[in-house]
Amino acid sequence: MSSTARPETGFAPIPISTASRVGARSATVPWYIWVGALAVTSASIGGAWDVSWHRSIGRDSFWTPAHMLIYACGVLAGVVGTWLVLNATFGHDEKLRAASVNILGLRAPLGVFLAGWGGVAMLTSAPFDNWWHNAYGLDEKIVSPPHTLLILGIRAISVGMMFLILAAMNRAADAGTSDFKSLQRLFLYLGGLAIGGQMFFLQEFTFDTGLHRSIAYISMGIGLPILFATISEASRFRWAATTTASIYMLFIIGEILILPLFPAQPKLGPVFFPVTHLVPAKFPVLLFVPALALDLFWQRARLWKPWQIAIVSGILFVAVLVAVEWPFANFLLSKASENRFFGTIYFDYGTPATDFDRLRRFFEPQYGIALVKGLGIASLCAMASTWVGLRFGHWMRGVQR
Amino acid sequence: MKRFHLRNLFLLLAALITVAQAHAHVGNKDVFQTITAGPYKFFVTIRTPTVIPGVATIEVRSTGAPVTSLTITPLMLTGEASHHPPTPDALKPSAADPNFYTGSLWLMGSGSWQVRFGINGAAGPAAASVPVPAAPTVLLRMQRPLGILLGILGVILILGIVGIVTAAVGESRLAPGLRPDAPRRKHAALAGVLALAIVVFAVYWGGRWWNVEAAGYAADLYRSSDLRTSISGDTLNLRIGDPDPKSPGGWKPLKTANLLLDHNHVMHLYAIREPEMDAVFHLHPAPVGENDLRIALPAMPPGTYKLFADIVYHNGFPETEVATLIIPPGLPSVPLAPEDAAAAPAPLSHGELDLSYKLPDGFTMVFDRPSTITANTAYALRFRLLDSTGKPASDMQPYLGMPGHAAFVKSDFSTFAHTHPDGSAAMPAVMLADASTAASAPGATSNAAAMSGMAMPGMAMSAAPSEPVSSTVEFPYGFPSAGRYRIFIQMKHGSTIETGVFDVAVQ
Repeated sequence: MSSTARPETGFAPIPISTASRVGARSATVPWYIWVGALAVTSASIGGAWDVSWHRSIGRDSFWTPAHMLIYACGVLAGVVGTWLVLNATFGHDEKLRAASVNILGLRAPLGVFLAGWGGVAMLTSAPFDNWWHNAYGLDEKIVSPPHTLLILGIRAISVGMMFLILAAMNRAADAGTSDFKSLQRLFLYLGGLAIGGQMFFLQEFTFDTGLHRSIAYISMGIGLPILFATISEASRFRWAATTTASIYMLFIIGEILILPLFPAQPKLGPVFFPVTHLVPAKFPVLLFVPALALDLFWQRARLWKPWQIAIVSGILFVAVLVAVEWPFANFLLSKASENRFFGTIYFDYGTPATDFDRLRRFFEPQYGIALVKGLGIASLCAMASTWVGLRFGHWMRGVQR
Repeated sequence: MKRFHLRNLFLLLAALITVAQAHAHVGNKDVFQTITAGPYKFFVTIRTPTVIPGVATIEVRSTGAPVTSLTITPLMLTGEASHHPPTPDALKPSAADPNFYTGSLWLMGSGSWQVRFGINGAAGPAAASVPVPAAPTVLLRMQRPLGILLGILGVILILGIVGIVTAAVGESRLAPGLRPDAPRRKHAALAGVLALAIVVFAVYWGGRWWNVEAAGYAADLYRSSDLRTSISGDTLNLRIGDPDPKSPGGWKPLKTANLLLDHNHVMHLYAIREPEMDAVFHLHPAPVGENDLRIALPAMPPGTYKLFADIVYHNGFPETEVATLIIPPGLPSVPLAPEDAAAAPAPLSHGELDLSYKLPDGFTMVFDRPSTITANTAYALRFRLLDSTGKPASDMQPYLGMPGHAAFVKSDFSTFAHTHPDGSAAMPAVMLADASTAASAPGATSNAAAMSGMAMPGMAMSAAPSEPVSSTVEFPYGFPSAGRYRIFIQMKHGSTIETGVFDVAVQ
């Protein structure tokens, strides 16, 4: 029960490192954890590809390769979940059964139930979204009720797989087995994809032409510190925020470098911009800088109380993010960024020449009091977000099954 | 909050009221058009979707030079997006009839579109376009089985969250093999109840969000503009406009300079007496000042008239405004203008009119009516003008630049279409489509290059056909629903404009 006791500090000491480094008992990462990580990777790539497909080609079908990758996530997670439920509920693997929870008579690790919930949410979103498109229009917005359900479903599968790894990682930490490092790396990798998922959900607020508006920083203040703090606490890694932010950035930069290599033409009108190749995402927000600031601060604030850490983290996150991204946005809207790396040369086929994106002009930029007020709200949001993340991450550290 | 709800209710009511109103014409959403591209000739039917974005279905019959393949591409009619076609889709020839092709394409937004046809055949490649106005006219309701399915899945998802939270708090942090004790189980149950409360709130909030999105869509549903009328002396004054809270009186009048000339007129106004359709006038009010259109009225039998006013916006989007006009007895009048037309057929209640319609000057107009006419089927409806000796009329002249004009009106006045021998598309939109085709594919069509650039806002168009006008005219048209229709056909010989009137019962 020691793992459930909550220490007074925001960041608990790291008891595993010595155990895992010195004389660790040999153990391997189970196959289903690798498959789970593969499932989330598949959905992340599929999601990015699908958005690019809609921005470049427009018309899709059930069978596009991007859709296949998203379905593969559901199939792989389904295989893992079914195998674990069958073995933990009806099988003879006592170790697996002992490390499972019971919901309505079925037994499995908690992460499996989370992923299963995500699968049902994705299945529910499909007919809902189809009806929504027929009733209100096709993919006009990313953030619509059925898309939110779909994204929640994909996210639940991702979080479920993270919990599956987490429980194994926490047990490995307690037992001092050699698989801890691999599990920790996998957990951080999925954490990086989760940061990407969060930024995907926020992209309508964090478009480069909107980066001189406080709403971009309020949305990131709400959505990011909670993840950085959770992953940092749960992973027991000193550079968790920097690592996950870097994974997000590398994923998007990879997308910018790779997708435009493939020819693609719009199959829907109206076409305002003649697209010839797959259109990648916008250049990532420079999250690794505020993430690095948070890591450095958190390493020095181990003995602080969570609310104290949250207050400083909220201000620090927003201040560093604005200090870096505000001038970087100027660069992104300048001629200097119009190249294959920064990717500001790519536009959707449906973007008219009068659009702020095509004009490379900031959309209703904010200055003065309105901006200060907005950034103040962003800092308060980031504080609350950090606090929730710290508490939840700490709770996660105790998860055993 | 109350205001918000009332607004939503208003929007939904407004949406329901306008569902029956289709854009071009009234109650006629489909486009029936003939196109000629060099030696190639086609009869095209484009069935537009009622929900936007939505799929338009396309049927093409080739009647000219042999065709080896046909493609379709959706483009906006004007502006930047008229220059960048997406990749074309092939039309599929029918196995039973190789001259009949079908296909479909997405219309992704409301507005003035064109469908461009790429033609390959023995006579070489060619291109032609048909203008297609698209607008959402229907608010889709969720079907009950889908609603039940989503409801069941929703309940599973809600209970799933409760179960997961309960297990997370109750068991997930216990060392493997341990069972939760009583206080922990109680704690877990409480967490489950809390999760249920949060999820129920989230679902309620999601429902509110859904309502806001639905109201936003309902607000974007197509509705034609208002047509306001007033009579002073012998003059009918017309003004088109839309509700606009920022304008004086909450109503913003349209500037007539934003309309395209259609056969040299800004407005083609049909006035048909209710309920018997026993008096019909085809008039052409002229712009006066910025917003008004005016016409000195001819002698009209007193009564209530339904007005159908055809206009075409500068982007080629056609619209028919509808209003009711009461003509009091003893109204001063002027003679019918040279380009206007009138007729006084027998009332609807006197039974179906003959297929030979006796005209006032002794001429006869004959309707070669198909033996049966069914709704939503494309027909080429043929009419012939005979002189007083029963021979085909000679000295035929174009009337308003066309061999003939037709108006198809349902007996309950719920649908109206003013069409031409080329089809149901508005002439200025056809010219914009031709100009756009010529601009992107030089030499593609026979007349597009000549017409290129002609259809500019406010610019006069002379669409007089170079060939002699025939006394036999065909109108491509499909009746949108079953019921009784009255057809008004106008043709011109010498300086006389004839209006023949016919009835059809559509099955």
